[in-house]
Amino acid sequence: MLLIPCPHCGPRDEGEFTYGGPKSRLPALDLTADTQDWHRALHVGRNARGPLTEIWYHSSGCETWIEVTRDTATHQILNKAKGGST
Amino acid sequence: MSRLSDGGMIDRETTLNFTFDGQPMVGHPGDTIASALLANGQHLVARSIKYHRPRGIMSAGLEEPSALVTVKDETGSTPNLKVTEVSLRDGLEVSSQNNWPSLTHDRGATLALGGKSLSSGFYYKTFKWPRKAWQTTYAPIIRKAAGHGEVDATPDTALYDKRRKACDVLVIGSGATGLSAAITAAQSGATTIVLEQDSILGGTLLSSDATIAEQTATHWAEDAADALVSLSNVTVMTSTLAFGQYDHGLVQAVEQQTAGSAARSILWKIRAQKIILAAGAIERPIVFPGNDRPGIMLAGALQTYVRRFAVVPGKRAVVAVAEPNARADTIRALEHAGVEIAACLNAGDQILSTQGRLRVSGLTWRNTQGHRQKVTCDLVAMSAGWMPTAHLFAQMGQPLEFDAYTQSLLPPQTDGPLRPVGGARGVLNLRDCIADGKIAAHQVLAELQMHKHLSLTPPASTARPPQGFGSGKGKAFVDFQNDVTRDDIALAQREGYTDIELTKRYTTLGMGTDQGKTSWTNGILEIAALTGEDPAKIGHTTYRPAYSPVSLGTLIGTEVGEQMLPTRRTPFHGGFEKLGCVYQTSGDWLYSRYFPKAGETMEQAITRECHAVRRGLGCVDMSTLGKIDVKGPDALEFLSRLYCNNFAKIKVGRLRYALMLREDGYVFDDGTIARLSDTHFMVTATTANAGSVWRHMRKSAQLDWPELDVVLTSVSDHWASLAIAGPHARNLLTALNPDFDVSRPGFPFASVRAGHLGGLPVRVFSVSFSGELSYEINVPAGFADTLLSRVIAGGEQWDITPYGLETLDVLRIEKGHLSIGTEVDGRRTPADLGLGGMVSHTKDFVGRALLQRKALQKDNRAQLVGLESKDGATPIPIAAHLSTTPLGNGGPMQTCGYLTAAIHSPTLDHPIALAFLEDGQNRTGEVLWAHSPIAGKSVQVRVTAPCAYDPKGERLNA
Amino acid sequence: MSYSGLSLLSNALTGNTRWPSIIDVSDLQKSYDIVIIGGGGHGLATAYYLAQNHGIKNIAVIESGWIGGGNTARNTTIVRSDYLLNSSFALKNFALGLWDQLSQDLNFNLMYEPRGYVDLAHSDGELEHFTLRANAMRLGGADAQILTGDALQARVPELDLSGAQRFPIAGALVQEAGGVVRHDAVAWGFARAASKAGIHIFQNCPATGIIIQNGKLEAIDTPQGRIRCGQALLSVAGASCEVAGLAGLDLPLNSINVQAFVTEPVKPALDAVVNYNAGLSYISQTDKGEFVLGGATDGYSSFARRGSFERIEDVLARAAQMFPFLPRLRLMRHWSGTADITMDGNAIMGPTPINGLMINGGWGYAGFKATPAVGHQMADLLATGQVPDLMCPFSYDRFEIGTEQDDGGIGPYPWLH
Repeated sequence: MLLIPCPHCGPRDEGEFTYGGPKSRLPALDLTADTQDWHRALHVGRNARGPLTEIWYHSSGCETWIEVTRDTATHQILNKAKGGST
Repeated sequence: MSRLSDGGMIDRETTLNFTFDGQPMVGHPGDTIASALLANGQHLVARSIKYHRPRGIMSAGLEEPSALVTVKDETGSTPNLKVTEVSLRDGLEVSSQNNWPSLTHDRGATLALGGKSLSSGFYYKTFKWPRKAWQTTYAPIIRKAAGHGEVDATPDTALYDKRRKACDVLVIGSGATGLSAAITAAQSGATTIVLEQDSILGGTLLSSDATIAEQTATHWAEDAADALVSLSNVTVMTSTLAFGQYDHGLVQAVEQQTAGSAARSILWKIRAQKIILAAGAIERPIVFPGNDRPGIMLAGALQTYVRRFAVVPGKRAVVAVAEPNARADTIRALEHAGVEIAACLNAGDQILSTQGRLRVSGLTWRNTQGHRQKVTCDLVAMSAGWMPTAHLFAQMGQPLEFDAYTQSLLPPQTDGPLRPVGGARGVLNLRDCIADGKIAAHQVLAELQMHKHLSLTPPASTARPPQGFGSGKGKAFVDFQNDVTRDDIALAQREGYTDIELTKRYTTLGMGTDQGKTSWTNGILEIAALTGEDPAKIGHTTYRPAYSPVSLGTLIGTEVGEQMLPTRRTPFHGGFEKLGCVYQTSGDWLYSRYFPKAGETMEQAITRECHAVRRGLGCVDMSTLGKIDVKGPDALEFLSRLYCNNFAKIKVGRLRYALMLREDGYVFDDGTIARLSDTHFMVTATTANAGSVWRHMRKSAQLDWPELDVVLTSVSDHWASLAIAGPHARNLLTALNPDFDVSRPGFPFASVRAGHLGGLPVRVFSVSFSGELSYEINVPAGFADTLLSRVIAGGEQWDITPYGLETLDVLRIEKGHLSIGTEVDGRRTPADLGLGGMVSHTKDFVGRALLQRKALQKDNRAQLVGLESKDGATPIPIAAHLSTTPLGNGGPMQTCGYLTAAIHSPTLDHPIALAFLEDGQNRTGEVLWAHSPIAGKSVQVRVTAPCAYDPKGERLNA
Repeated sequence: MSYSGLSLLSNALTGNTRWPSIIDVSDLQKSYDIVIIGGGGHGLATAYYLAQNHGIKNIAVIESGWIGGGNTARNTTIVRSDYLLNSSFALKNFALGLWDQLSQDLNFNLMYEPRGYVDLAHSDGELEHFTLRANAMRLGGADAQILTGDALQARVPELDLSGAQRFPIAGALVQEAGGVVRHDAVAWGFARAASKAGIHIFQNCPATGIIIQNGKLEAIDTPQGRIRCGQALLSVAGASCEVAGLAGLDLPLNSINVQAFVTEPVKPALDAVVNYNAGLSYISQTDKGEFVLGGATDGYSSFARRGSFERIEDVLARAAQMFPFLPRLRLMRHWSGTADITMDGNAIMGPTPINGLMINGGWGYAGFKATPAVGHQMADLLATGQVPDLMCPFSYDRFEIGTEQDDGGIGPYPWLH
């Protein structure tokens, strides 16, 4: 069970969170992005063995999404997580 | 009795009665089953798994490979317990396993005669003929022969619990090393937890005759334990087995509760900043022919039985202990118990065989001068050295390294939270262990900045015995539990199963319930001896938790029966229950299913409820829908990006049906968007997706489009939602005394009003899932009962009928409305569902780009259609598949679609169905076959539009 | 030497000293027709069928560790074909047919035991959906039944149908041909037969480079040297992204940890393979007597082969709902494997954008049951250059063109599959 550092609540057990996958930057919604842009953003390039920045939702806590950089080979957490605004 | 008259840590004042294979025996508090059996002169306790060889008690701890028994107490029976791990209690019924008709006369032993053809992996080479014989004949025989004890098939009614703790320093083990580490840590103020698997603290100190600081080892342990317990920052937990190390400093342990406690055992999840593993070491058996007979025991275990349990383990012993100090210690212990030393083998002697049927009766060896010698004996004390108990270290994936100096697998230096110390890293000398514990504690305290750094040099690990013993040829066991011999390991090497993992899997070496505690190092050394390979290059197999087996009941805890997960009930639950509701589990929820009247079947009730909604008035609980408040200047833009349809012009007081796509263009969810003010919307999500839509919105607002000024609030639990539906819905709404205009022009379909109904604060939505005139009345959850009772009372004049999930489903099927999880199954585009027209071409939204993919735009995709039976009467079987041809003779056949729902429509009084059909929207009128081999039915059906009732939606504006 | 009861007896008389190695030791050649990267069940099966069905034997199988040491060794050994989507069903049902005769074909007892696969439904609605699947299976030529009440109780006497559970059991889909196969034996049996046919198998021999010129595969690099080859198959389960990365390919998948565990062995107490669907929990009893259980993935990216214990507690709680005696047993060992899960939870099989390089990956935690079918179909592809029908739906480019094969309808969130 991972111990995930929530910037608002402190280190908490993984069980309090919902996984949101590797962080991805979605194309802008201005009718310019095409199929390939979204294919690249959504489907590939998200499986690093090593440090990977991902998003976790603190569902049984502050109900915000936080970013966590974690080494997927060792589970070592590399960042002091920073949350988004809102 | 084979018990010394004094000494030991047993309470001779109290007698405990127990039975072994029905035979009455006695013991004392302080005994394990093992010590009690030995004290009753019972060495034979088991039969081995494959050859049914008589087996005794080899060890005094969790490493015990052979002496597995079934123990029955007041809660039922538990198989495969090691006699060495169970504290004796009054009334235990202990039974041997895997023998028939009895332990002393076991017919299975005749199998041993076939010994050599039962070599490793024999079952891979035979039982293949005739083709079905493995499954029908051989496997059942093999399965019956395998397994150890029998599981008690009655439900386990014992209670278990789970708890959590956190600390600065966790010390696992309470021998000399652990006590010294714990005291050092605790005295500096660190919150410290000490876990000890045994029922008392002290570890091997309890079976040592050494002196420490002019005290006996036992007294030293007692004093240290007392000192620890007196400190307020220390928690000492005995009978608590740390079985695994997990990520980020988590150690899990199971605490056995004493008999009569509320819970039988407790799973502890302990987060520690630092973990000191002081679990000691396990003694290594010697591999020689006949090394498995009852009475052949590990030398350290014999010391424990004599000194801690005051057991006289035999009359004449052969001592085969490699290390000189340990040899002398063993002899002192045996002589203390009055055991005659028949022979003491010297290093380099070659052990040739042992004799005896149910217990060892003699041992033959060749000495270093080449003389063959033989003595009679009833006990053999053996030891080839010690192996660190570093399992919890290795479980995290970092391999142990074979150390030629100590001839054992040692943990390497690490910067993880866990530090192996003392015996667990190959330090065996008592004084060194005490020093090692103290130094390790100082080190972790310095790392935690709770103590200044001290430059202390840890003691070196202890040298291996100068020389071991040789062995003759014959059945020499390496893994006692799985009957794996030296020859089996040799066979695996010969047949190419040379990787240590393959050797393990082919021979089953180390795969028993003892997890190879006594066999792994010997296995590696045997492979090295056979192949001439450097043991350091052989490596080892992966160490897996649990270190020692733990009860599943403990791991399940209180999550049993109906309490496995919390059950959600809506605010109307109690009120509907009084109205005779039958409930159904649906995901998290208990959902109202239908409301039978006396004598009604479910079908009759559903038909009545449907008619009521279509002809009069019904009410249904809609509270499980997700409800999200979206506020802010950018609220409309925010929603516009999330939903695929265009609602830019939605006016305050109006609402729209809306469709949400996944990023990949498939339909995810549907709901309504109601505009409460310029900058305030309320959005619904389906019950199934309430949580995921909420998280998705939160993610969008917080991470994807932080530039949008929008505030989200989940109000799902805030509002209770009751829909009233049917031709009289407006009449009832009027009767509920609204403070707003509810006339047809004043409150048209697809509108929302906030106000009061007879003083109750409400939001009312004119939406309809049933296709009838309908209002969803939302009240703050606390007013649910009030609203329901007013609705029921007010609706009485129109015979208001509560209905549930079943009728809701029938009504929506008649209307061709979508159900999430049924038609909206994660593989459909809006066009597939007949909603292609909703998709905006003028704005961007999540899913737009990937919806444009070639295959998603293909025009002959499977599309939602309606079906009616060709003759208008024959029921359409549920879950049927569509085909253009009649059912064939059972071979594979081509299908072109399948049903998502099929009912007898109460309103239309004929069978209808919804289906996905390839190119379905162009096939209206076509007649197809609906095949259900499961129902044994094939029915001809005609393709229609999905909506079978009121296709123009006129009733909504009635 | 052929394996039989007779050869066991005659070898016993000679002290078992004459059994040959299952894999002949070979020297690595400078070139092969085909290099198969990955000596797991899938790779070894491909090698075997290339020799058996197409007479192609100039093949090297290179395995970074020990044969069958990846997910072949880590699964819960269940085989079945109860899928709604025809693509998924057809391939796995083809595999079931092969499992049935493979022990004879390979002269190696793989211990295929069709004990029956029992998939539990927890509501009438779910049972209707299972009926849809059962009908699809029947119309596809497989066996399937829907059992409820007494019939289900008779089929699995140990099952708790009292209804006193959080998710009462409404019925089950039963596939009698489903069951278990001894997983290690699959790797060994295929390896032995492939080696016998002259195929070279190298353990402790990872691919360290994939040499491409002008879009065409040239060679595979290993620590033991460069191997030139006309074609190569990448069949490396949880290492797909890393190895494909050597060829510059970026695969649409996430690697996620999957756990399984066994209890102590006891005498036979459960015959069928049973799956609980209100939260995943599957259970069967091995020939050795251990109950082996598994569930969903850990749900986050990981290559650590180490999971979150909560998953095990969760699987157990659900298993105890089915079998209330289970809490009496004890957990012996739990382990993990890395599952490569694609954006639709289904495998990727077939040609890649690199001429000569084929891929077989993304099997998630569903690959074992398909082993012989994958080998058979991959051999067809490598031998003929034509993508066989059963493989077509699983193309590498399907996420770009939109022909996902999403059995669960879950979408491009591998951690939820």
